[in-house]
Amino acid sequence: MGSDLKTDVLVIGAGPAGSMTAKWAAKHGASVLMIEKRQEIGSPVRCGEGMSKDWLPDVGIKPGRWVNVEVEGARIFSPNETVFEINEKHAGNEVGYVVERDEFDKQLAIDAANAGVEVRLKTAATGILKDDGKVVGAKVKQFGTTFDVHAKVTVGADGFESQVGRWAGIPTNIALKDMDSCLQYRMTNVDCDVRFCDFYLGKVAPGGYVWIFPKAEGLANVGIGVQVSQIRSMAEPRDYLDRWIAHHPAYSKGKKIDMVGGGVSISPPLKQTVMDGFMVVGDAARMIDPLTGGGIANGCIAGKICGTVAAQAAQRGDSSKEALLEYDRGWRARLEEKLYRNWLAKEKLCSLSDETFDKVVDALKDVKLQKLNVHNILKAVRDKYPEVTKEFEAFL
Amino acid sequence: MPSKKSLHIESSGQLCIYCGACVGICPLNCIYLDETRITFDEKVCTRCEICVKACPVGAIEIG
Repeated sequence: MGSDLKTDVLVIGAGPAGSMTAKWAAKHGASVLMIEKRQEIGSPVRCGEGMSKDWLPDVGIKPGRWVNVEVEGARIFSPNETVFEINEKHAGNEVGYVVERDEFDKQLAIDAANAGVEVRLKTAATGILKDDGKVVGAKVKQFGTTFDVHAKVTVGADGFESQVGRWAGIPTNIALKDMDSCLQYRMTNVDCDVRFCDFYLGKVAPGGYVWIFPKAEGLANVGIGVQVSQIRSMAEPRDYLDRWIAHHPAYSKGKKIDMVGGGVSISPPLKQTVMDGFMVVGDAARMIDPLTGGGIANGCIAGKICGTVAAQAAQRGDSSKEALLEYDRGWRARLEEKLYRNWLAKEKLCSLSDETFDKVVDALKDVKLQKLNVHNILKAVRDKYPEVTKEFEAFL
Repeated sequence: MPSKKSLHIESSGQLCIYCGACVGICPLNCIYLDETRITFDEKVCTRCEICVKACPVGAIEIG
């Protein structure tokens, strides 16, 4: 047994949401311990490495050497490969920068450490400590030694595969239709366009898409997400991706130098993200945008709020659920409406036939959309393919 | 009484890429990922096979 520790705020997981939470809690005067079960923050990478950029100044992140490429926009390819271009500003939270994700995570951890956070690697949470229903810390294991960390506020930032939320008692389970199983190769010797992040829709990736995120000339992340409820046999995401690559000459001659997998939640927002002494944030709180699969921006935005509320709660000596609800209200005000709307859109898109995708993208490519919103998209579709509009009546 | 089917997670590195997809989707929260080791709780697991589908590379088998 190691000796037990005491801290104001314990953050479990040192991804972007964890580091942001930790940094902002420390900046507001709390003592903060952030634990990470891996030996290296940010590695191995589990990410397509695309992110939008307009939110970065708001949460205090400066672009650094983690930026690979700044893209102009996105290209959406329908099943018959009709293309629709969208400016980066309107293209959702996966488009703006293509990043070196391990460098990004390390930079955020450095920012947290420099703000006063104590960081411990090779330190995993193995259980939650409770006192009369209230979370009062976690049982952790560092280099094989088990000890208790007592915290006024405990934050679960343990990513898609989150367990601490469920250990604490917050239901973070997701349905099969609300998860994509993802696989990606980093490929060299490919003919990619560094000006765009590309997305291929339809039956090539049921309930998801194939993405090409350029890392440099000739180098790109080529990946796929497939909705788990549409998977019929073992290793289907890999089969779909390999088939797609084989059918695209710009990529079929490429050479794989890296392979990344992972789960992405495409679920509606959680009903509950706080309880007495405990909050959950980022992918662990299912804050990933269900339409784009992007989680970094939302995790960081929520992390700033979470850290701020955690510090206030610790200082006031009140980490009751009621006190921590300020975080719940805060992230919902910023993110919830869009998460819910995009979840509805995802539900619809998952049901569209390839023919419908072709028509929608064809209608869009003809118009210069001043502003990309549901109303303008539907108007463009209605003008050219009135019969398709019926599919979207619920959105009008 | 019929015995439970067996679940096998190939996590020696031949198939598994330690991505955690199975951990996140497991409705009973009984799969554990420890860097390059995946274990699951035999007693809690009901062999629902959801993790088999969620695995992007086919490293989980049930039989």
